[in-house]
This record gives sequence, structure tokens and C-alpha cells, in this order.
Amino acid sequence: MNGALPAIEITPSLLMVVALAGIAALAAVGVIAFNNPIRSALCLVVNFFMLAALYFTLNAEMIGVTQVVVYTGAIMVLFLFVIMLLNLGAPIVKPEAKEPQTLVGLLLGVVLFGVVGSQLLPPLLSVVKVGAADNYGSPEALGRTLFTQYMFPFEAVSILLLIGVVGSIMLAKRRI
Amino acid sequence: MNGVPIALYLGLGLFMFTIGVVGVVIRRNPIVIFMCIELMLNAVNLTFVTFARYQMSPVPAGGMARESSMMAGQMMVTFVMAVAAAEVAVGLGIMMAIFRLRQNIDVDELNILRG
Amino acid sequence: MESNGFNLIWLVLALPLLGFLLQALAGQRIEKAVGRRTLGALAVAPIALSFLIAVFLTQRLAGLAPGDRNVVVWGGEWIRISQLNIPFEAIVDPLSMTMVLIITGIGALIHLYATGYMSEEREYARFFTYLNLFIASMLILVLGNNLVLLFIGWEGVGLCSYLLIGFWYTDLANAKAANKAFIVNRIGDWSLTLGLFLIVAALATVFPKVSGDRILSFDTMLPALQSILKDNPALATGIALLLFGGAAGKSAQFPLYVWLPDAMAGPTPVSALIHAATMVTSGVVLLNRMHVVFECSPVASAIVCAIGAFTALFAALIAFGQTDIKKVLAYSTVSQLGFMFIGCGAGAYWTGMFHVTTHAFFKALLFLGAGAVIHAMAHEQDMRRYGKLAKYLPITFGTMLVGALAISGFPLMSGFFSKEAILGAALAGTHAQVDGFAIGEWAGLVGLVVAGLTALYMTRLTFLTFLGNEERWRTAPAEIHHESHAVAFGVSELLDLSDPHGFYKTMDSQAEEDHAHHGLTSDHTPHEVGPSMWIPLVVLAALSVFGGFLLQSNGMFEHWLQPMPLPVLGEVRTEPTTINLTMYSLIAAFAGMILGAIFYYRGLPANQGLDETKWTPLRLWQRNQFGFDQGVTTLAVEGGGDLGRSLWHWIDNGVIDGFVRGIALVATVSGGVLRQIQTGSVRLYALVMLVGVVGFLSYFLVASHLAIAVTGGR
Repeated sequence: MNGALPAIEITPSLLMVVALAGIAALAAVGVIAFNNPIRSALCLVVNFFMLAALYFTLNAEMIGVTQVVVYTGAIMVLFLFVIMLLNLGAPIVKPEAKEPQTLVGLLLGVVLFGVVGSQLLPPLLSVVKVGAADNYGSPEALGRTLFTQYMFPFEAVSILLLIGVVGSIMLAKRRI
Repeated sequence: MNGVPIALYLGLGLFMFTIGVVGVVIRRNPIVIFMCIELMLNAVNLTFVTFARYQMSPVPAGGMARESSMMAGQMMVTFVMAVAAAEVAVGLGIMMAIFRLRQNIDVDELNILRG
Repeated sequence: MESNGFNLIWLVLALPLLGFLLQALAGQRIEKAVGRRTLGALAVAPIALSFLIAVFLTQRLAGLAPGDRNVVVWGGEWIRISQLNIPFEAIVDPLSMTMVLIITGIGALIHLYATGYMSEEREYARFFTYLNLFIASMLILVLGNNLVLLFIGWEGVGLCSYLLIGFWYTDLANAKAANKAFIVNRIGDWSLTLGLFLIVAALATVFPKVSGDRILSFDTMLPALQSILKDNPALATGIALLLFGGAAGKSAQFPLYVWLPDAMAGPTPVSALIHAATMVTSGVVLLNRMHVVFECSPVASAIVCAIGAFTALFAALIAFGQTDIKKVLAYSTVSQLGFMFIGCGAGAYWTGMFHVTTHAFFKALLFLGAGAVIHAMAHEQDMRRYGKLAKYLPITFGTMLVGALAISGFPLMSGFFSKEAILGAALAGTHAQVDGFAIGEWAGLVGLVVAGLTALYMTRLTFLTFLGNEERWRTAPAEIHHESHAVAFGVSELLDLSDPHGFYKTMDSQAEEDHAHHGLTSDHTPHEVGPSMWIPLVVLAALSVFGGFLLQSNGMFEHWLQPMPLPVLGEVRTEPTTINLTMYSLIAAFAGMILGAIFYYRGLPANQGLDETKWTPLRLWQRNQFGFDQGVTTLAVEGGGDLGRSLWHWIDNGVIDGFVRGIALVATVSGGVLRQIQTGSVRLYALVMLVGVVGFLSYFLVASHLAIAVTGGR
């Protein structure tokens, strides 16, 4: 690593991506920063939306749609329901006590980011060329692969989801 | 999009992952911990799709064709999402079952495994 | 040295064994069927027959030329391990035949006596079983042609001694005395075993060259030992002292004599046979057999002489403090055994054997006579209650007087000859020396003094028992401790106190022969014993008078025993030239006798009477063995117990168990420490995982940077 960062061409797409990524990052910070779990959940929703947008910038349209539908539409809704069910969003929320573990955790997070990032990111700043075809993320391509090459995992996951349904009902029932 | 360095996506993924890890360690509200786990999973998903897009290796790994290597990342993401959904359902069910018994929500109170 | 004609020796050995087996297996049935007299005859007969056969064999042996009198009789294969061959062999030579004659001859007489003495005993058959077994073991000891067979006999007689001392085992004191005898003997056996091992080790150097492979048989071993030890006096001293340790145990020398006085708890025939005539002389027999070893080591011989002399003096002094007639004779035995060892230490081994023979005569006589007195006095053994018994027991008095004169060294009696021979050898010989210091001469002088003391205490015994001016039992106060018999256990009301030689006795302090029939009332009249008892007395008296003279006429005994193989010393002078031994020994004997008569002719002096507060402190100390027995007991028995307890406490409990407990403790403590990590808080676990991951990644970062820097990368 010698000298300054390599020259990056500033294009509108780059700016858009930067904006999307920035909001996503901020939302992620918000998830852990807020005391109120509802606010954390809503930040996470924002984060997921930004991610979906980023998937679209990567031409992975099917994934992006699935992200919105499954993650934000289903999972986060589920989270919010549970939060409200358990009455966790009450205004009078006990603030979590300060403890040294927090500081150690933060420190370690910084160290982790620094260690991995310093090795990973600088060399890759110059990589701008894409290798995949532009329609690689279309539903058609995805479906073709999913139902031919990945048939078995697909069926297996369906069984997994069945089990998940049954299990969650069993767990949540008051009386078995 | 053209001209976007891969490092941006990867950096965001790394950042989200780190935030998730820190959140698991710091927060004491189990729901928030769970949300941080989801954050980590999403970071990983982003990374997968990124690499699927920016085919960085001249020859795809595992001897597969270029088309397959494009789709493999997305397949992984699909399945991760499915599993994450199932996991959330079951996990939240567990949480509801536990916290119906107690009124306070604090992970640190669950220390029956204390030696 | 062919064994033709001497195979009868196995019959000599087998007859007592057969007698033992017969009585052990069928004794009680025979007793019930045909009565005690027949059983007694069945007990005496094998011994008497053995004696006759032994006489016959001895005559045949004497018919051989002096150099050929060393016949090995093969009996059968026993141990054969590659190059080691230890067969069953008997050796028929003058030493063994002398001992066989003594054992079977005097043994037969004592068996006869015992049929009368034990006639009221309940367990008649058991007694003779053990007695026959004893004769058999003793015969093995003297007839065995190798050290292993000798050791078997050694142990066998020790066992029989234990069985017979503790014959009335229901009395705890008797059992303790038997245990003491056996255990103290064991110490001697340990020493003997070590000596045997040392001999084998020494022989191993010439092992392959020795003819045949019967390395431990006396006829091959003794010449080999002589050639090895001639130039190696240190090794000879070691072996000799170890062997003497064994002999000291069996023959009751200081400090292993402590069992012999306690062994008087056994019946009197046992004391006569075992502890006077035969078993205690095994030590002397051993020394005679292994004389080549002692001849190669003047130091060891000097030590033997010194210990013999000291024991003789020590025991003679103790005898003055004894009031029990059997105890006086016991200490007298110890003292006379000391004499025998003086003779052996001086190098004239035949004198030791000569004294063994004469001592067997008169000591057996004295013990049997004492038994007759005890029997006549309703089992009272305390001499202070005797007096003027010559009137009632003429035969006993006559024979015991003969015995006392013989042991005192009255001229021309047997004791005189044997003592002269020993003292002469000691004073004249030059063998027993340490750095030029002639121990032998000093031992001889001590022996002279002891001879005088012997005469004195034997005269005391004679006067107190048979002479004097009053019959003391008529006027003596009743013994106070009689009552304690009845109440000590509290069960005697339930018991049949008319149980003669009863089995239900109490824990009285000194083992006496019989309590339950202490019928010595003040109007008791002693009566003489029956023929089965006085015939042996008369025979032994005759032997005591004439035996010594006959045996030593023309030096017959000396030459009979002399051609034992390979004496190193050549002739040992027995006539000292510096002093006139005969005169001095006569002076000692007569002085002792006359002084004894002066002190005791009126009977019991006041300062030795029943009232022990009048005793002088010296006499009390003498009675107490000068505190030696007590010292040994405290040191060895209680000291051993204390040592064992403290070892248990500190080492077994502390170190070994502590070590095991320590391991458990380590596990517990470390577990307790490690337990702190299990907080049960999942977040902490997650944090720790994070720490691990970060650490891992950081390490690789550093490592890769170093690698790159080293290889001069980017």
C-alpha cells in the first residue's frame, strides 16, 4: 500500500449508492443505539429498505423484492407484533445499566472493523468492473436455477418452514 | 450500476456485521439482540450478492460454469432468507414462552446455567 | 563313604515321626480304647527303639577307621534347580550320632517320666504327639546333611517348643510365654538365614568347580568354604557372626535369652527335654558343624567366647534372686550354655559337645527331680515353702544331690571333666583373639568364677528344698494371691474348680504350672513319686556320676569327635601352662559348696524369705533380671507399637492418604476456581467469543504483515 487512494471516478450512480449505504449504516447504528425497542425495530426496517435498494443497484431484482416482502414485510412485522405483545414499548422503559462490558464490546467492535477492514477494503477500491450478466438477477434466471439445480435444497427448506410453523405454534400456545 | 467500487458494498457489509456483533454483546433486551442477529445475516446476504455481481475470480470456484457462479450467490441468499424467517418465528415463539413466565425482560436474569 | 549298612538311620528318623502321626490321628481313640498306659507305652516305644538302632549304628560307625567316619546316606531327590541340587541326605558321623544318642536316649527316659507326670492330664495324647514331633524335628536337625535340612529341623523344634510351652494354652500367661519363645527365636532365625545366604553367596564363586552340584551338603560345602574363607577373614567373620546370631537365639545367649525363663511355663518334662537337654543345644551343634567358618575368623570366635562368658556370669547372678525352683534351673541352663560357647569360641569344639552331653545328663536329672518335688508338693514351685523334703522324698533327694554335685563340678563327676576341658581350652588356647587381646583367657577366668557361683546357687537350691531346719510350708502364711484366682474373671463360680490341671485359669502374672489345685495346705504330706518317674531319675544320676569319667577316659570323646573334617587350627591345647587349672577349679567348686552350706544350712534366711520387703535391693534387682527383660519389652514391644502407630499416623495417614486426598483437593480447588467463569450470562459468553475471534484475526493480521515485510512484498 503506497501513496494515496487510487483515483475514483465520481458518477451519479456512485453518489446514489453512497447515499443509500450511508443511510443504511446510520440505521444500523440506530438499531443498537436506541433504548426503546420499537425505535430499534423501526431503524431496522429502514435498514432493510436501504438494503433492498442496494440489491437493485446490483441488478439482483428478485432478491431485492424478496428482501422487502420477507424481511421487512414479514419478519419485522413479526418483531413489532412481539414487542407490542410483550408490552416492551412502554414509554417508561428502564434504561439499561451501564457496565464495563459495554465499553469492552464497543472497543472490540472497533478493533474487529479495523482489523478486517484494513486488510479487505483498500485493495478493492479499484475494482469497478462487474462480471455478471445484467439479467442475472431476474426472476426468470432465479427461477430457472432454483427449480432445476437447487431443487433438493428448495424442498428441504420447505420442510424446514413447515417445521418452523409447527414449532412456533407449539411454543406460543398457552396450553398444549 | 457501473463504476461503483466493490469496496463500498463490502464495507457496508462489514460495518453492519460489526454493528450486529456489538449489539449482541451490549444490549440486554432479548428482542434487540435478536434484531442484531438479523442485521448480521443481512450483512452476509449483501456480501453474497455483491460477490455474485462482481465476479472477481478469473475462473469460478468449484469448477462451476460462469453462469452457475452468478446464480450461486443468489441461491445462497434465498435460502438464508428462508431460514432466517423460520428462525425468527421459532425464536420469537421461544421468547414469548419464556417471558410469559417472568415479567422482566433481561437476558442477564437467565443465569440458571451459572456454575 | 558309601552308605551301605547305614540306611537304618532313616528308621531312626521315621520311628518318632510315625509315633507322632499315630498319636495325632488316632491318639484319643487309642486312649479311650485301651487306656493311658498303653498310649504312653506307644509314645515311649518309638523313641526307645530309635535309641537302640542308634546304638547299633554308632557301634558300626566306630568300627570304621577314624578318617572314614563320615557317611552320607542318600534319601531322595528334593530340590533340583538347574545347577543346584539339595537332596534329602543324612549324615552319619560322630557329631550327629552323639546327638542322636542323647536325643533318643534321654528323650526316651523323659518320655517314660512324662507318662507318670502327666497321667492326670486331660489332653494326654496331644502332649505325646507334640513330644514325638519334637524328637523327630530334632533328629532332622542333627542328621540333615545340608544347611537347608538343618534349618527345617531348626524351625521344627522352634514350633514344637511353642506348642509345648503353651500346652496349657487356656491360661493367657502360658500363651504369652510361648509367643515370646517363638518370636525371640525368630530373631535368631533371621540372623541364621542371613548367614545361610551369605554362605551361598560365598560359595557361588567356586560353584561350578565343586564336585557334583550338591553345593550345600556338608561333605562338599565345608572343604569349599574352608578354601574360600581361609584368605578372607572378613567374610568369615560376617558369616560366623550371623550363624552365631541364630545359635544365640536358639541357645538362649545374651541378649536373646529372655524366652528361656518364661518357657518354664510349660510342663516340667518339656523343660527337661527341650530346654535343658536338646533344643537349646542346637546352637552348639550348629557351631560344631560349621566350625570351619569359625576357625577362619578369630574375631568371631572371640566374640562367641565373650558373649558366652558374659551370659554365664549374667545368668548365674540372676539365679541368686530366684525363688521358683524351675527358674533357678532355667538360669542355670543359660549359664551352662554360656560355658559351651566359651569352649566353642576357644576353638575346642569337642569340649562344647562334651559339655552338651554331660549337661544333658545332669540338667535333665535336675529338672526331672524338680518335677518330682513339684508333683509331691501339690504343684507348689516356690522354694521358700519347701524345706526338709529329704525325709519324704529320699530317691528324689539322692538323685538331685548327685545332679547338683555334678553341675557344681565335684571331682570325678561328669560335670567336672567337661568343665575342666572347657576352661582348659579357653585358658590355654590362642584362637580367640582380637588384635592380640586374648579374649579366651579372660573368658576362662570368668568361667572359673561362674563355676564357683554355680556351685553356690545349686547348693542354695539343695539346702532350701531338701535340707534346712524346718518344714516351711507348715508354718508359712497362705498365699494372698490365691483369692485373686477366684475373682479375677468373675466366672469361676460357674466353673468346676476341681478341674485338675484345669483349663479355666485367670490372668495371673507369672505363669505357674497349675493353680487350680494349689492344694498346699499346712498339713500336706509329700509322697515319693512312682516308678515311672524315679527310674529315669536313677538312670540319669548314674550317668551323671560315671558318664563323664567313662567318656573322657583316654581322651575317648575328644578323639571320637576330633576327626571332624579339616580343622584349621590343628591341635588345641587344653592344658593351660600358666595356672594350675585343676587346683583352681576344685577351689571354685568347693568354695561354692561350702559357702552355700554355711549360708543356707539353717534353711531360708530372713532376707530372702516370703516377706519381700526384707530383701536386699541387689537381690531384688537380681530377681528382676537386672531389668533387662523389662527394658527389652519396653523398647521392643511398646517401642515397636509406638513406632508403628506414629508411622501409621504420619506416613500412612499423612503422606500417602494425604497425597490421595491432595489430588482430590486439587480437583476441588481448581474446579472451584474455574467455576467462576460459568456466570450463566450468555452475553458474557458472546463477548468472550468475540474476544477470541478478534484475537484470532489480529494474530493473522500481524502474521501476514510480518510475512509480507519479511518477503519484501507489496
